[in-house]
Amino acid sequence: MNTLHLAWMIGRPSAARSTPQLLTVSAYAMVSAVLLIVLGGAYSFTSFEPEAQGMYLPLAAFALVLLIVPLVVLGAAAARLSARTQDRALSSLRLLGSTGTQISQIAMIQAAGTALAGALAGVVLYLATSPLVSMIQFQGAPIGSAIYLPVWVVALAVLTVVLLAVVSAVAGLRKLVITPLAVATRQNVPVPSWIRALVTVGVIAVLYFVLNNVAAIAQDFVTIIVVIVGGFGLGLLVLNLVGPWLVARVGNSKLNKAQTPDQLLAARMILENPAQSWRQVSGVAMASFVAVVGGSGAALMGMGAGEASEPGWMRYLSADVLTGVLLTLAIAFICVAASAAITQSASTLDRAELYDGLHRLGMSYKVMNSARTKSLMIPALTASIGFAIASAILVLPLAGIAVLVKPTTVLMVIAAVILGLLLVRVSITVANPQRLLVAKD
Amino acid sequence: MLENSLGLPPVIAAHGLFRSFGTTVALGGVDLNIQLGQSLAIMGPSGSGKSTLLHALAGIELPDAGRITLNLPGYNNVQVETLNDKARTKLRREAFGFVFQSGLLIPELTAIENVAMALMINGVQRAAAMDRAAQALAQLGLAGMEQRRIGQLSGGQQQRVAIARAKVTGAGVVFADEPTGALDSTTGTEVLDILLEATVGAGKSLVMVTHDRSVAERCDRIVTLRDGHIVTDSATAQRQTGSWS
Repeated sequence: MNTLHLAWMIGRPSAARSTPQLLTVSAYAMVSAVLLIVLGGAYSFTSFEPEAQGMYLPLAAFALVLLIVPLVVLGAAAARLSARTQDRALSSLRLLGSTGTQISQIAMIQAAGTALAGALAGVVLYLATSPLVSMIQFQGAPIGSAIYLPVWVVALAVLTVVLLAVVSAVAGLRKLVITPLAVATRQNVPVPSWIRALVTVGVIAVLYFVLNNVAAIAQDFVTIIVVIVGGFGLGLLVLNLVGPWLVARVGNSKLNKAQTPDQLLAARMILENPAQSWRQVSGVAMASFVAVVGGSGAALMGMGAGEASEPGWMRYLSADVLTGVLLTLAIAFICVAASAAITQSASTLDRAELYDGLHRLGMSYKVMNSARTKSLMIPALTASIGFAIASAILVLPLAGIAVLVKPTTVLMVIAAVILGLLLVRVSITVANPQRLLVAKD
Repeated sequence: MLENSLGLPPVIAAHGLFRSFGTTVALGGVDLNIQLGQSLAIMGPSGSGKSTLLHALAGIELPDAGRITLNLPGYNNVQVETLNDKARTKLRREAFGFVFQSGLLIPELTAIENVAMALMINGVQRAAAMDRAAQALAQLGLAGMEQRRIGQLSGGQQQRVAIARAKVTGAGVVFADEPTGALDSTTGTEVLDILLEATVGAGKSLVMVTHDRSVAERCDRIVTLRDGHIVTDSATAQRQTGSWS
């Protein structure tokens, strides 16, 4: 029996695996559709006049870079779920004598197959939603048919999603190849060191100085842009460094204060692996960053908007930046919500035996569900509030002025963040153990 | 209803329990009384209906037909089969304790938190729950291991934590499904000693499913099932006081 046949035998759609398989394919579909819509939006800017393109294309590229994190997190969540559904079968094959290379090949074929099915569904989703997306206005007119990407870009996006799935699957299966038993040994995950916080504070201080003296540091426009984008990039990197530490601190505090079973369990679930808890919600942190920095920028640009002396395309800039910020927020939150639903569903399916057993022991599904929800929403709120504060510090004078001169813009952005967090909260009801496990039975 | 020598009704009285899965009959009309302070072993080959009977008696699964009457503090003359899922969940956490082969301990929690959790879901404040959990663990020889994670305990220690969790709520009946099944013989004997001491030794009842005759012999009474029917029901050598049914 060749590897391809073996991969099909243990990976083909079946009733027992239908829930995780459907979730995985849906996730890949979501990643592909979002990627294509974002690329389509950015591509539509190429139809603007050259001077406007000079402003809009770097902004679109910046938004794309910001969306890489939530997109990668979503793709990785889908890949992990895909790999988990096959863990037992692959482990058995390894015990039966399959080589590590064969196991890796099967995992890669299955991941690629699932991702391809999802990515193609994503293309359909992109085409189905394009008429709606094309109604969004930039430069005072709907995007229109400019949203449709050339075929080669669509093909490249599909290929990228499939490659991401294959890489994640291989990374996730390294343990299986090393040990045929693939026994999950629970070890204490080291608590992230406080040094991370120290490094973060230092870097923010330096960035604050640089960004507030950017005119003195860089003379020409291009250098200024490079310094600003580089500064924000470094800021995001360093804030991701401190994220797990921050989540661990909050988790510890919640553990000390816990009075109810769900609070105690949620705190322990967070502390089980603060880095993983952070990873699940890092997209929320990104959204907060976009909200504060982009929202402040949009508000300030709106101060003198609409003046007759401005060149044609400039009149729309502040409204378009606000549209871009809100779109970036929406997309980031959709990605976070989808990856949270997938990660939580995978976790619920992984723990099916324990949840079922605890229910037999008399623990209600309500307690388990509440603990699971808290274990996600506590890091999400921590990421959102923590990053909002840190981002506001980075652009303090701008953020302060924005609140004073354009409070409605700021309120609109805050409302978008709150709506996004609500979306994340609603999305994880998919993974409700009672619903998922009883449905599975 | 049959009463024991003290004139008390059985803590659990099952009558005419019937349960089938498709065309397979798991319980074919089982009658069984369990007395206060009694240890009962349920034996039988695989597929004989042992676990189904235990699940029915504990209100985990409902029988297709038959009655299960409960007489425990706070649950006087309660018909288990008439309770809805929510009420049976409450019953299980308040009136029963469970020790399963796999332990079913929450891996993220420490030993003491696993035990305290049983009290906290019954509404006991965390501080009080932790105190009582510490005492329960100490009584079972786990003093000093309270803060260990489940993965840091041996199989025998994990089962002791499970027994502490079953005992700490003061449950009137403890249900055990192959509690020593995953342990070596020496550790299994130790765990069984502790389980009997924590239940029958404290005046509670124990209902245990086991494949192991030597484990069953440690109980007061052995019921043997075959194809969903009780084929033998007798007192063990250590409790030759006649039939209990």
